[in-house]
Amino acid sequence: MSHTASKIHADKAAIFCKDEDRVNWHSKALWLLREKRDRAASSLPEWEQLRQLGSEIKLHTLTNLAKYLEMFEQNCQANGIQVHWAKDAAEHNEIVHGILSHHQVKKLVKSKSMLTEECHMNPYLEERGIEVIDTDLGERIIQLAGQPPSHIVVPAIHLKKEEVGELFHEKIGTEAGASDPTYLTRAARAHLREQFLSADAAMTGVNMAIAEKGAVVVCTNEGNADMGANLPKVQIHSMGMDKMVPNLDSAAVLLRMLARNATGQPVTTYSSFYRGPKAGGEMHVVIVDNGRSNMLKDKILAESLKCIRCGGCMNTCPVYRRSGGHSYNYTIPGPIGIAVGAQKDDTNSIAWACTLCGSCTQVCPTKVPLDKIIHHHRRLKAEAGNLPYGKRSYMPVVGKVMGSAPMLNTSMAMARTALRILPGSLLKPFAGAWGKYRELPVAPKSSFEAWYKKNRS
Amino acid sequence: MKIALFIPCLVNQMFPEVGVATLELLEKLGHEVILPEGQTCCGQPMTNSGCYEDAKKTTLKLLNAFKGVECDAIVCPAASCLVAAKENFHEFDNSPEAQVVIDKLYELTEFLHDVAPIAEFKKPFPHKVSLQMSCHGIRMLSLATPSENMSLQRHNKVEAVLSQIADIEICYPERRDECCGFGGTFAVDEGAVSAKMSKDKAYFHYETGAKYVVGFDPSCLMNIDGMIRRQKLPIETRHIAQVINEAL
Repeated sequence: MSHTASKIHADKAAIFCKDEDRVNWHSKALWLLREKRDRAASSLPEWEQLRQLGSEIKLHTLTNLAKYLEMFEQNCQANGIQVHWAKDAAEHNEIVHGILSHHQVKKLVKSKSMLTEECHMNPYLEERGIEVIDTDLGERIIQLAGQPPSHIVVPAIHLKKEEVGELFHEKIGTEAGASDPTYLTRAARAHLREQFLSADAAMTGVNMAIAEKGAVVVCTNEGNADMGANLPKVQIHSMGMDKMVPNLDSAAVLLRMLARNATGQPVTTYSSFYRGPKAGGEMHVVIVDNGRSNMLKDKILAESLKCIRCGGCMNTCPVYRRSGGHSYNYTIPGPIGIAVGAQKDDTNSIAWACTLCGSCTQVCPTKVPLDKIIHHHRRLKAEAGNLPYGKRSYMPVVGKVMGSAPMLNTSMAMARTALRILPGSLLKPFAGAWGKYRELPVAPKSSFEAWYKKNRS
Repeated sequence: MKIALFIPCLVNQMFPEVGVATLELLEKLGHEVILPEGQTCCGQPMTNSGCYEDAKKTTLKLLNAFKGVECDAIVCPAASCLVAAKENFHEFDNSPEAQVVIDKLYELTEFLHDVAPIAEFKKPFPHKVSLQMSCHGIRMLSLATPSENMSLQRHNKVEAVLSQIADIEICYPERRDECCGFGGTFAVDEGAVSAKMSKDKAYFHYETGAKYVVGFDPSCLMNIDGMIRRQKLPIETRHIAQVINEAL
């Protein structure tokens, strides 16, 4: 496999890292969100109690998921909403296509859905003659660029405003060389307005599904989900089954944290509750499993379904900020992307795209133990014989050497001698990535054990 | 107190001066210090990679070195090794004898803050130091409240211990507790990202204007030191044990 075609995280990240200015800018832009989050979270003295409550609400719901899903379905139906169940991505896409073709939909406006990315729905519908327009500004930018999102909340964070200006010039006819964000946003708004007015159906993701009310909550800052859902006759809301919460009170707890932890806003500009079709219209909710009930069977992996998709873990992750969202071989990048995507990663590398620093776990509003889950994925991969980076061959050797004092002492004594007497340039090739980027340690003459024997016993 | 030293392989083989400083400072504080024989690695390089089978023999060998050793505490000058030892001992041995060992395990700063506080430092340390708040120590051992946490009750054991030294000036790098990028085999597997993390960390410490980067985890210090020397930055790394030993 050639270097550029590699899907392995380290290879793709190394390419991203070649442009250090871009890495600095990317890392800083996301750290700015982390800082805004810190300010917003610290403004609530009860923040840590909220996190505890959020975690317990989600755990309780997941533990009683069947009950809440049934309650949700019944209440939806009582509200005149049609509920569909999809066991996987293919079924989801078929259901959506069925609804759209029944109404002879030619154009679908879509908002806020990582799930449809997960299901690769856009190409599926486009192949069947339906035009799909992503209406969140960031989503629309990357759709025009022909790229997947690189972040779940700020999907075009990897692009600079100059690049967006160029793209808009080419695709929607803005002035050449224009990169002023206000100008570009206005141009995008005019362009999207035409799409809303000419769409036959709307689709949104779901931030929370409220069992007791048979309602779904959609959070946006641009109001585009509402524009979509309120204009055409048909509205579809696709949700992973993990989006369930019992009641309005639990939704309120999570809503207090979602935007604060994502961007530092007190709450999203629009937090819309949809609880029935408009007059003369149709409202559909598609509930998707796609591997979720399997994750529930593993006690550690199950906790990743507590996630409310604020993206806070990505903003704080030192690895994500320096490797870019496209380096993860999964739709969702960063720590939560590893947690929910490692099993689907055929390169087996994303579980190792992490230093286990634990910052993600500490920042998470629902206390998803992300570092513990990532560590667990490594163990599952190891047990299945799916180790990356040559670990399958060298780890048993490391285990043997470390477990034997004579072997460890002999090899380390040799290494110390080599480090002291051989010139660094000779050694660097042997020290791999370490020596490529850093100076090798200055080696001492003897071990501590030897010193102790000489001086204390 | 009678203290058994837990000297991880990295300290034993590459940073004996950290082991010596730990031993000397504990002796200066009036403790009886011993070094149980047969210690080796805590198994972290293997378990961090998911390879539990390959870690088992190593981890149990280390645990056995401490089983039955008569002492009041087992003290280690390396936070991440200490965390790994605790977790791995639990993983591979559920016996009461193993639990006795686990209950006595302390990271050096933790021991000096929680168990046997230092009554008095005799010498000043007239230098500006930039503290390296390494991940495992603060997020898993709770040596300090991590920056992500919004608890109103905040603590910082590292600063609490060091700030008693006369004339020491304590400061922190930008993004004070961001990971330095070592992560065990991560530094080799993910060379480019790890290097960029280390470089940022080295520069953030340098930009404080401190004379020393002071930390409690030798692996992070080794990583930062390798980058400091590659970038030729005028700042040096010191383990917290060395600073304390110098001031006692």
